[in-house]
Amino acid sequence: MNLVQRRKLINVIALGYSLAAIAFGLVWLIWILVMVFEKGVGAMTLNLFTEMTPPPGDVGGGLKNAIAGSALMVSLAMLIGTPVAVLAGIYLAEYGRRTTLGKVTRFLNDILLSAPSIVIGLFVYAIYVARVGEFSGMAGAVALALLVLPVVIRTTEDMLVLVPNTLREAAYALGAPQWKVIVMITLRAAKTGIVTGALLALARISGETAPLLFTALNNQFWSLDLGKPMSNLPMVIFQFAMSPYENWQELAWAGVFLITLGVLLLNIVARVLFRKSATQ
Amino acid sequence: MPSLNPAELSPQITMRALNFYYGQTHALKNINLDVYRNTVTAFIGPSGCGKSTLLRTINRMYDLYPGQRADGDLLIDGVNVLADDVDTIELRAKVGMVFQKPTPFPMTIYENIAFGVRMHEKLSRIEMDDRVEWALTKAALWDEVKDKLNRQGTSLSGGQQQRLCIARGVAVKPRVLLLDEPTSALDPISTMRIEELVNELKKEFTIVIVTHNMQQAARVSDFTAYMYLGELVEFGKTDDIFIKPQDKRTEDYITGRMG
Amino acid sequence: MNDNAHVSRQFDEDLEGLRTRVLQMGGLVEAQVLQAANAYLEADMALVTAVIETDGKVNEYEIEIDDACIHVIAKRQPAASDLRLIMSVSKIVTNLERAGDEAKKIAKGVRRINDRGQMAMVSNAANVGHLAKEAMVMLRRALDSFARVDAEEALAVIRDDAEIDREFKAIMRQLVTYMMEDPRTITCSLDVITIARAIERIGDHAKNIAEQVVYLVEGRDIRHPGKERGE
Repeated sequence: MNLVQRRKLINVIALGYSLAAIAFGLVWLIWILVMVFEKGVGAMTLNLFTEMTPPPGDVGGGLKNAIAGSALMVSLAMLIGTPVAVLAGIYLAEYGRRTTLGKVTRFLNDILLSAPSIVIGLFVYAIYVARVGEFSGMAGAVALALLVLPVVIRTTEDMLVLVPNTLREAAYALGAPQWKVIVMITLRAAKTGIVTGALLALARISGETAPLLFTALNNQFWSLDLGKPMSNLPMVIFQFAMSPYENWQELAWAGVFLITLGVLLLNIVARVLFRKSATQ
Repeated sequence: MPSLNPAELSPQITMRALNFYYGQTHALKNINLDVYRNTVTAFIGPSGCGKSTLLRTINRMYDLYPGQRADGDLLIDGVNVLADDVDTIELRAKVGMVFQKPTPFPMTIYENIAFGVRMHEKLSRIEMDDRVEWALTKAALWDEVKDKLNRQGTSLSGGQQQRLCIARGVAVKPRVLLLDEPTSALDPISTMRIEELVNELKKEFTIVIVTHNMQQAARVSDFTAYMYLGELVEFGKTDDIFIKPQDKRTEDYITGRMG
Repeated sequence: MNDNAHVSRQFDEDLEGLRTRVLQMGGLVEAQVLQAANAYLEADMALVTAVIETDGKVNEYEIEIDDACIHVIAKRQPAASDLRLIMSVSKIVTNLERAGDEAKKIAKGVRRINDRGQMAMVSNAANVGHLAKEAMVMLRRALDSFARVDAEEALAVIRDDAEIDREFKAIMRQLVTYMMEDPRTITCSLDVITIARAIERIGDHAKNIAEQVVYLVEGRDIRHPGKERGE
């Protein structure tokens, strides 16, 4: 066997391994998607959006309160988390790039980024729920906001750092003050990237269960009171999936399907946005 | 063509005993140089010789970075711009700059031009329209973009983007235009357009250009400064520098020899 | 001049090749002038033929070197000393070719005189032979100054041209006197005048070459009066 044949053989073997690895990963993913789709589509009815979660033993029912609760908490979390995170990202990228405060903040943010979400849940429980003495939608939103922070800080900083320095210099060279350079030039240039980061954070928190376990808990009834426990999809799925009632299990699958669909859509939107910014 | 006899020219920029430091590194050593009004002066020299640093000293771009500082005198129209009390925003209105890579801002072509003007002047909508047209005409870009002023600046070709950047600099009506390797990212035809433009613009502005392309320096400039290791080795009329340089190091550089 | 090597070795080789070929061509023209002078002095018709035959080769050199110059300009965009070298080479080559033409004129003049059987009459005019030798030496020194890149030597050559001009005028006066004294010598004298003028022209070309050497070395053009001259 000469060298060329040998090389080709090694190439074929390596390619074979890679393909096998891809197949292994994809099989599970597709299996999950197919299963969620199969079980979820069957459970998709209009009732889902019009009826409350049923009490034990009752037939039918929907996810109205859970969907509303999830939507409320997730939007509130984004509303609290994103502006703070974007401002922090701006500080890290534009003002504190080389300062000690910047370095420390960056390091802490990275820790927060990799912190397990249950830790966040427990933290909010300790400082908020335990003091107030009641589980609440607000606590849930705060816990989710804490999850939004590190993701958006990171993407904002990364996207701003990616903006070529010459663009900043070009603006300074025209006599622009720093705030104007940031607002008019760098933020604009990084806009789509930052929005993408926020969407990914949104996708991440919309499926989180652990932080809500200690904060919003769950609520069987319709409630938009942020001071009271609030129903939400992940908790309902958790509870219903393990119940003996068939209609509960079906509702759990429907919830899983809804979340999966939502995350999928968000990912696609983020991807499209990102591609747009990349081709600019 | 106006006379290039230094006795008949008035210096717009005067550098005396100018030094520049990047932290501990002494990057420019005792530079003494006059840049004359309405001429094109080229800074040439190998990478790291300090030519870009010298250019960026003129509009105090180095202010953006901690640890960079200059001492000595750098006078523009008699005012020492290195002084602490100089308003860099005002200075940069007088000294425009164009960079190596085209840097259109992420906004429309119109806004790209208006951005800098708004910083320094309050113009009515009509006046601004006129200014935008004037600047784009000066940059020989008006005919190509007059029907798409609301398109993104990034939608233009590389050569057009660079001319947009020149228009943006010109729009502020500076006295000096600094060009930092303005054609190194462009194709030959776009390069020739820019060179032609430089030739036009020097009627109204004093131009300083940094270039790695010696033929470009020979083509567009009236005066050439050869720099090496942070020192100004030779300064003179471009014709003299490229036909009979006085310093052996200049000769070696422009003829492509190993010194 | 600059002894440092170019970063591009090919460029160095191109320029060195140019210089070498100019010197080869110069040697050829020098030999031509010497042969023409000897043909005159010794009435040697073999040398006449040799001079005329060499001319073709000189012309080939001119075309080849000019072509090489254009190639270097197109490919390298030479500057400073390199640019001056190319420009002066191109002009030196033109002058050499013309000097060669003048040598051919001398040879043809010798042949005409010989054909009329009058060689005995002219070889007495030893001044012409002397003038020819002097022109040849001048040409050789001009080429030497080019080879050694020596502006001092070139300036000396330029000064010597005045001497040749003076001698040429003396010969003219002498020949005019002959023709007035004895009209039978007119045909012959006219040929000798042609020859003497050709020699004087060779001196001019040598001077032009020397001027190009001064330009090459010092970058100043000393060709025309009114400016600083090497006299």
